Amino acid sequence: MRKEKLITLMLGAFLLVSSQIASAAGDNWRNLTPTEKDRVLENYQRWQRLPQQDKEHLRDEWNRWQRLPKDERERIKQRYDQQQRRDRHRD
Amino acid sequence: MKNAMPLQSACKEFEEDLVLYYYGETSEEERRRVGQHLSGCLRCQGFLGDLQRLLPQMARTEELPQSFWDNYYRETVAKLAQQDERKHWWRALIPSMKIWMVPAFGTVAMAVLVIGLLFGKGNLSSFTVRPTEKIPHEILADENQLQFFESMDLLESLGKLEAQDEQKPEAVNTQSSRVKLQSGIA
Repeated sequence: MRKEKLITLMLGAFLLVSSQIASAAGDNWRNLTPTEKDRVLENYQRWQRLPQQDKEHLRDEWNRWQRLPKDERERIKQRYDQQQRRDRHRD
Repeated sequence: MKNAMPLQSACKEFEEDLVLYYYGETSEEERRRVGQHLSGCLRCQGFLGDLQRLLPQMARTEELPQSFWDNYYRETVAKLAQQDERKHWWRALIPSMKIWMVPAFGTVAMAVLVIGLLFGKGNLSSFTVRPTEKIPHEILADENQLQFFESMDLLESLGKLEAQDEQKPEAVNTQSSRVKLQSGIA
């Protein structure tokens, strides 16, 4: 009887954890705007076509980006957005 | 069939009464009335005689041998078992499953359903709207990966952006020192 209870408890816990993970995963994607979703998709498809060394370089850059101080990241991001806007106006 | 002789006809108005009379299902008064009629009517006496001769034969039940009842019992039990089996057909699918496994199996099925719904709900609309969207679940599920692909463009020009970032404050500093210098001169 105790074994049955334990198994039911474990299954319940599994159900709860997996639903939480699934929910979080769904939320990550759901929270993106359509433009961001498009960008993710486009970049993912491009990533698949990239040569291995470029992939490694980008991974290194990503790690470096994450290690940057928050204010520096904000500044670079702002500059990048400005450039993007400027490029769009030019086009 | 040696006794298969037609019944003699009785007086029309007494025919039914005579059958009831034979079975003793008449009232005392009726019985007396039919009795009086019978004493003077040969046709009805003959009819009653035929009833007394034929009805017991019709009602006699055939004695069935014991083997018939044995077979009957066996067949009935077999049919009941068959019916019971049909009612619980799903048990045959899980013959070796222990009883506690049934709710466990139900829980797992529910878990699969919940996960399916959660994943499906989040991505179904976008997958149906944009059929080209084929991003693996492991990426969608990982916030870090999503951020990586979202900022891939930025990462590609990170070095350049950093270089600009380093140049700009210097440019600002140079400008401000120039202003200071000019104001100092002034």
